Amino acid sequence: MDAKLVNPFVDAFTTVMPQMGFPEPKRLKMGVKTKNAVSLGVSVIVGFTKQIRGNVVYNMSEDTAKFIASTMMMGMPVAEFDGMAQSAISEMSNMLTANAATNLTGMGLEVDISTPSLSIGENFQVKISDDNYLTVEMDLGGHVVELDIAVEQQ
Amino acid sequence: MEKVKVMIVDDSKVSRAMLEGNLSRTNFEVCAQAKNAAEAVALYEQFKPAVVTMDMNLPDADGLECTRRIRAVDPEAKIVMISAMKDASLVAKGREVGISAFLQKPVGINELIDTLMILCQSKAGKVAVLRESYAKPFVKALQQGIFSMTGVHSEVELEEEERSFLEVSGIAVIVGLTGMPNGRAIVYMDSNTMKDFATVMLDAEESDEITEDEASESVEEAVNIIVGRGVSNINDVFKDKEMRITPPGTIVGNKIRIASPKLTTFRICAKTRLGNINMSVGFAEGE
Repeated sequence: MDAKLVNPFVDAFTTVMPQMGFPEPKRLKMGVKTKNAVSLGVSVIVGFTKQIRGNVVYNMSEDTAKFIASTMMMGMPVAEFDGMAQSAISEMSNMLTANAATNLTGMGLEVDISTPSLSIGENFQVKISDDNYLTVEMDLGGHVVELDIAVEQQ
Repeated sequence: MEKVKVMIVDDSKVSRAMLEGNLSRTNFEVCAQAKNAAEAVALYEQFKPAVVTMDMNLPDADGLECTRRIRAVDPEAKIVMISAMKDASLVAKGREVGISAFLQKPVGINELIDTLMILCQSKAGKVAVLRESYAKPFVKALQQGIFSMTGVHSEVELEEEERSFLEVSGIAVIVGLTGMPNGRAIVYMDSNTMKDFATVMLDAEESDEITEDEASESVEEAVNIIVGRGVSNINDVFKDKEMRITPPGTIVGNKIRIASPKLTTFRICAKTRLGNINMSVGFAEGE
């Protein structure tokens, strides 16, 4: 996969998250992986079609997911990762991916995105590519969100 | 049941009569017919229809301009464009001025009704449309897909999903759906069913010959084919939908919960001699 296709996702993250009241995100690590991703607890998959095909996964621990949901809901305490918190994380994934899609359109690449699917569990595997994929870790106020990106230009 | 008011905007008397004829046998009633943009705005204000069908070519302004004028009067106005031409540029311009859906002439009755229902009916109406026109094509695809790849017969049931999440132990293959409506299809089964399914699909003698990776890859490919067929079944009926599928994402593990908030979801279960092969197909609310 082409590394230049990763920037729209990183840019979306650094642009959208502060708009929702989060501290400025920092990029921690970036690398290429070939094996299946292992879920950190909460993994959201969103798919792409048209000129870009593939999937992006927003992978985080349940603690991080609760922190994000709480911040999105104006600091409301989130003790359990319940329906409302799941909804917040899905909404965040949708906004980030829609913003990345707009960035891709700016590069002349038309894309459509699917609805997000949020999976919760322990140590389950997530496979989004037969080949390798890119992984970027973003720091968000001391919490880590991993973006796994497997997209191909058609 | 109260009838839903529709206004037709079209300069052709024949086109107006055809649409009115189509709608006369349904729960929609044509409350007004306009042959140009000026009439359309005046009649819209007078009748306040629930939905407007809009032609592209009008004598005094085009359909985009007419839409702009109606939405200046009522920003919530629901407008469907029905025109002879339909290309990406027209759709993009139409979306900008607030057109909710695009249909190409001649419009099939089912296609027209489904579009109008999704736009302006109650939640119950939407669920009925989604079930008949969007979930049922996947029932057929699942049953035929399983049979064509494994020769295994199945009994298939379809019902609306009441649970807010699926619980999966084994494998779940997620395929995104894009277009209108967008959503996702998830096919899931337990580990034994996955192994047996792959054994039959790959024509192996014993399930021991198949590795875990081969088993999950076989299921992933089968799901890709099944969901692709389901979407083709929909696109065959609705020639304007252009629904597409994303590449699959596969999840393997125990006690995984998968949630898709805000979707109207249907559960399809295929009971086979290999075990239950489940499909969850969910659609986002129409725009």
